[in-house]
Amino acid sequence: MSSEVVIETDVLVIGGGTAGCFAAIKAREQGLDVTIVDKAYAGKSGAGIAASGAWSVFNPEWGFDIDTSMNEINKSGEYLNNRKWSEIILKESWDTYQDLISWGVEFPQADESMDFLKKRFKKQHRQDFPRLAVGLVRLKHRKTTPFLRKQAEKVGVKIIDRIMVTDLLKQNGKVVGAVGFPMESYKLYVFKAKATILCAGRNGFKPPGMQISEITGDADGMAYRAGAELTGKEFPDMHTSLAIAPAWKSNGELYVAYWHYTDAEGKPITCAGMDLSAAAVIHAGRGPVLWDLDSATPEDLQAMEAYKRKRGNPVEVERIGLDPRNGGKYQLTGGASAGGWEEQAGGIWPVDTKCATSLPGLYVAGDCCCTWCWGATVGTPWGLTPAAVTGKRAGMGAAEYALHEDKPVIDRQELTGLIKILFEPAERPGGFSPRWVTQLLQNTMMPYFILHIKHEKRLLAALTVVEFLRDYLVPKQTANDPHELRLAHETKNMVLNAEMILRSSLFRTESRGHHYREDYPEKDDPAWLAWIKIRKERGSMKLWKEPVPKKWRPDPSKPREDKYYPRWFTTE
Amino acid sequence: MSIERIDSELCTGCGICVNSCPMDVIRIDRESKKAVIKYPEDCMCCDYCELDCPVDAIYVSPEKYAPLMVSWC
Repeated sequence: MSSEVVIETDVLVIGGGTAGCFAAIKAREQGLDVTIVDKAYAGKSGAGIAASGAWSVFNPEWGFDIDTSMNEINKSGEYLNNRKWSEIILKESWDTYQDLISWGVEFPQADESMDFLKKRFKKQHRQDFPRLAVGLVRLKHRKTTPFLRKQAEKVGVKIIDRIMVTDLLKQNGKVVGAVGFPMESYKLYVFKAKATILCAGRNGFKPPGMQISEITGDADGMAYRAGAELTGKEFPDMHTSLAIAPAWKSNGELYVAYWHYTDAEGKPITCAGMDLSAAAVIHAGRGPVLWDLDSATPEDLQAMEAYKRKRGNPVEVERIGLDPRNGGKYQLTGGASAGGWEEQAGGIWPVDTKCATSLPGLYVAGDCCCTWCWGATVGTPWGLTPAAVTGKRAGMGAAEYALHEDKPVIDRQELTGLIKILFEPAERPGGFSPRWVTQLLQNTMMPYFILHIKHEKRLLAALTVVEFLRDYLVPKQTANDPHELRLAHETKNMVLNAEMILRSSLFRTESRGHHYREDYPEKDDPAWLAWIKIRKERGSMKLWKEPVPKKWRPDPSKPREDKYYPRWFTTE
Repeated sequence: MSIERIDSELCTGCGICVNSCPMDVIRIDRESKKAVIKYPEDCMCCDYCELDCPVDAIYVSPEKYAPLMVSWC
């Protein structure tokens, strides 16, 4: 732990996924020296590399208009969306799509469009598709972020791979860089930067069904410890996967092309793919939830075949012996993304539309930037487009800030403290293995009755366990090599995120969007048209309400059914 | 289980798989100069190493190293 590498740069970008690359390219275009650091390999890490859905694009020529789209987002987001951000994402989405095309990204089908989705949904559920704010352009699996890296390299962004950043460096209240270590040795890396952009993704508890287990809430952990404000932790993600091979998520993704779920008795479950309906069926004791391929028509089989081809991953379906043509009923399992939350809900609070945070010198973009652009429910549009839009804005904002900053001077005392924390697990002769602590955390947090169908008693029980992990096991983790040192820091960040999730879930004493409290099943507009904010204060976690501006709230005199979509599920 | 094998006869030691793995499961062995599975228990079955290997030396099984905690049933 002796050698030290110091890297100086104008703008430091932590995380090289979709948001990180967009941010770095934009900051570099302003003529600054820009460095990306990634704990894996920029362009091949983050949620974007796993993405195979679609880039959401708002285009008036495709039949969308801004008022209708905004009304849709407000209503489906149950009025917790930040309208400023909703509008920015819509209006700037087209530019990000054009950026990708100009950098060489191919879109297999320019406009599969909502018509297709609408038609299919209507056929299967005999009702209108609920969320129609944007159009979609299909993506190919793993064919977007590598092009972003290429473009970043082309414009002269420096990229440093396989370095795990553990904490932000501060000097006189400003963020002036970060510290980290490489995967292969116990070297210390000190990054000195005029401005720092966090793009390290959202949280997840190394979820079984989503190939984003490297995303462990590192950005939120670092920002929290540095004193930044966070928000949106009470809204969980709802992805599912197939029980025959839950880790092999992509196979299960075929159900994106064919929605037909039933309960154990064969009764169809109405849902929009990613909501609480299925968890409610499980809770009612009517599980397992089955993906019913026996009811697939030749047309449905064709749609699945076409979807498989478009995704461009040749091995996934065959290897678990899944052939939709043979029919069958396949058990689904929840928690594919356990511990993650909706894209753009759950992360660091941007104080302005330039993606600045409550800490001077710190900017934020991508899934760890909670713009609240989609509100309380994830609708059709996912996190990719907002990642690009916030990336560009954070890159621009950080560059403007960095232009007026002097070279940072590092406070040796602060640095010494961070170094001690960084290498502590490696120096401890014995203690708890990070893998075991992670497993305990997963067992505590993942069951549907903690993350999805919530109740005060169960949340408090889980919180008791998580606090014990935090106070007793996490500080005594041990690491035998740098790889395990990474695991120890990831575990620390996941435990911290679990605490934020539980405390926010307890605090919001109502049900809204994907946050469902069995003990408070209704919406409470007078009390809870508000965001929950979180900050570290005198060593403990402080939560408070930030009311949604009055002009963005629904008219209280309007009947409920005009303001809100009907809930899809019941727990009876 | 997870990443099952890297065929050392086929592996050229190019290192592409090391960078493809977001979980740091694969390393280049110092002596043999070939890719080896170093931390199979951390494999998330994403398949990226297998997809990226230019000589098809890698096989990833859809089964995780240890039984999974899932949220339902």
